Amino acid sequence: MEKFRVLFQHFQSSSESVMNGICLLLAAVTVKLYSSFDFNCPCLARYNALYGLGLLLTPPLALFLCGLLANRQSVVMVEEWRRPAGHRRKDPGIIRYMCSSVLQRALAAPLVWILLALLDGKCFVCAFSSSVDPEKFLDFANMTPSQVQLFLAKVPCKEDELVRDSPARKAVSRYLRCLSQAIGWSITLLLIIVAFLARCLRPCFDQTVFLQRRYWSNYVDLEQKLFDETCCEHARDFAHRCVLHFFASMQSEMRARGLRRDTAGQDTADRDPEPPEIPKPPDGLDGGGSGKAHLRAVSSREQVDRLLSTWYSSKPPLDLVASPGLWGGGLNHRAPTVAPGS
Amino acid sequence: MDKFRMIFQFLQSNQESFMNGICGIMALASAQMYSAFDFNCPCLPGYNAAYSAGILLAPPLVLFLLGLVMNNNVSMLAEEWKRPRGHRAKDPAVLRYMFCSMAQRALIAPVVWVAVTLLDGKCFLCAFCTAVPVTVLGNGSLAPGLPPPELARLLARVPCPDIYDGDWLLAREVAVRYLRCISQALGWSFVLLTTLLAFVVRSVRPCFTQAAFLKSKYWSHYIDIERKLFDETCTEHAKAFAKVCIQQFFEAMNHDLELGHAHEALARAPASSAAPATTDGAEEEREKLRGITDQGAVNRLLTSWHKCKPPLRLGQEEPLMGNGWAGGGPRPPRKEVATYFSRV
Repeated sequence: MEKFRVLFQHFQSSSESVMNGICLLLAAVTVKLYSSFDFNCPCLARYNALYGLGLLLTPPLALFLCGLLANRQSVVMVEEWRRPAGHRRKDPGIIRYMCSSVLQRALAAPLVWILLALLDGKCFVCAFSSSVDPEKFLDFANMTPSQVQLFLAKVPCKEDELVRDSPARKAVSRYLRCLSQAIGWSITLLLIIVAFLARCLRPCFDQTVFLQRRYWSNYVDLEQKLFDETCCEHARDFAHRCVLHFFASMQSEMRARGLRRDTAGQDTADRDPEPPEIPKPPDGLDGGGSGKAHLRAVSSREQVDRLLSTWYSSKPPLDLVASPGLWGGGLNHRAPTVAPGS
Repeated sequence: MDKFRMIFQFLQSNQESFMNGICGIMALASAQMYSAFDFNCPCLPGYNAAYSAGILLAPPLVLFLLGLVMNNNVSMLAEEWKRPRGHRAKDPAVLRYMFCSMAQRALIAPVVWVAVTLLDGKCFLCAFCTAVPVTVLGNGSLAPGLPPPELARLLARVPCPDIYDGDWLLAREVAVRYLRCISQALGWSFVLLTTLLAFVVRSVRPCFTQAAFLKSKYWSHYIDIERKLFDETCTEHAKAFAKVCIQQFFEAMNHDLELGHAHEALARAPASSAAPATTDGAEEEREKLRGITDQGAVNRLLTSWHKCKPPLRLGQEEPLMGNGWAGGGPRPPRKEVATYFSRV
């Protein structure tokens, strides 16, 4: 239990590790999905290729889109891309960095599916059994071409009566599986080499730029999360004070009604539109300075709407020291990008 | 147990992840339900299609409605939609946002059911076994000799291996493979289409309406919290009300007993000295009552909360009666009323 919690906390520690966690989870789901999927080659001439290739390519596409959906940073990236500049300059390098990191992580699950399918071999055998060259196999020497085509189409189906226990079928099937596994392992090797080279050679170029971009992309993500949390806190305080205010207004209404009843000397049940006496401020509203501090002087619908619009259309500059009144053009705290080789 | 508590705590950490958790659970439940369900094709010409259509469409509808029911926000949406305007304007964008987010989450379990059904293939096989192209797949020369009802009866038995007697016309395995292949192709296309749609909706939205989206999200969250806080405050009030009521009852009983047994006044002395302590506690509870101390007042408060929600504007003492919209126009001059009481 303890190690589960430690693992969990490690994954939640930064936005990058959250993304890695989601990526791994999706890869595990892909493996489970592949193993539970019941492969069913139609063993008919034209349908084989469509089915085999469709199964090799459609699920990876769906998994890629799922990877993009499950990753919160893809939405943050699009928001950062489309926002108006406001007081904060937009850096295309950061957007490119976020895009590439999102895409890399989203590609993990589709690649797992493709590699599993190739290493397993069923898809490949189904798709390409009709395209095998019959000259390679001696067993087809005394069959007519149409018979050969029919036979080859049924090779993926072991239990079909035409090809059951046929050495020719086993030969073709073995050949195609061997080819499929070779391609699968080659792709795996290629991907690992590319990843290795990219990782090792990256520090040779643009290291400072890379560090800056990583920092600011992490910052954008955290800032969005914190803004959402602060809005939640604010909404809670707003609601609390609204409800207390409501109770206090009812109280003052009761008091006014009671007073009127006493002065008039009769019980009037109807609402009298006469304004009441000035009620004293109820105690609940002044419950500590902390309550007011939470609301941060934003205490009406128009003010909240204005705050949210301004957050979107005109993000504040990244300068905590300058006073808020100096938000003019040109106040950009970020260091300019270092050109490579300078 | 500890593991469940931790998972539960994580899911409860914010409203969104709780709803996502419920979503995920319902999707898993849907897949599990399908695997536990014993599909039983009738293998009769007219009934196959009806049975399969029922299996494909009725459970998703049930799951969708269940998803809506399990979402607490449905009643909140209905309340916000039907409430009288009162002092607070209604924002249709907020209502739309709430409805969209609920519908999106409720649609996940039905989509999982439909996808799993199509990928498994039994339902499709049962529905379309009579539409298999016999001339292409089987012994095409024998098919025209059969009258159509006979052919339909024969083909309808394809899903049931024990009673299928048409091997001379069409090998059962060939038909099953053919239909399952088409079913799986449709299933994957359906999955691809739904993920594409979800992706487009999620990624393209920030390109438009982002500011409006932030507002709708804030106010829908606000409405939810306000409702919860109101319920909490009412519960607090009800508790205080009950306490004071009971204390008053006991005091009244005590008083009656005191009057009735005056000769035991000396014995009552410690009890009466204890009375100020209870009245101190009663004072605290009366404070909590905020001046609302009878059934009629409570009913009026609750009616007013529904009929006439307060405006979203703090920091000023707004009278509930009067000219309605806070700050909407010149206020009528306030009159100071001074009263004199005399007790004779």
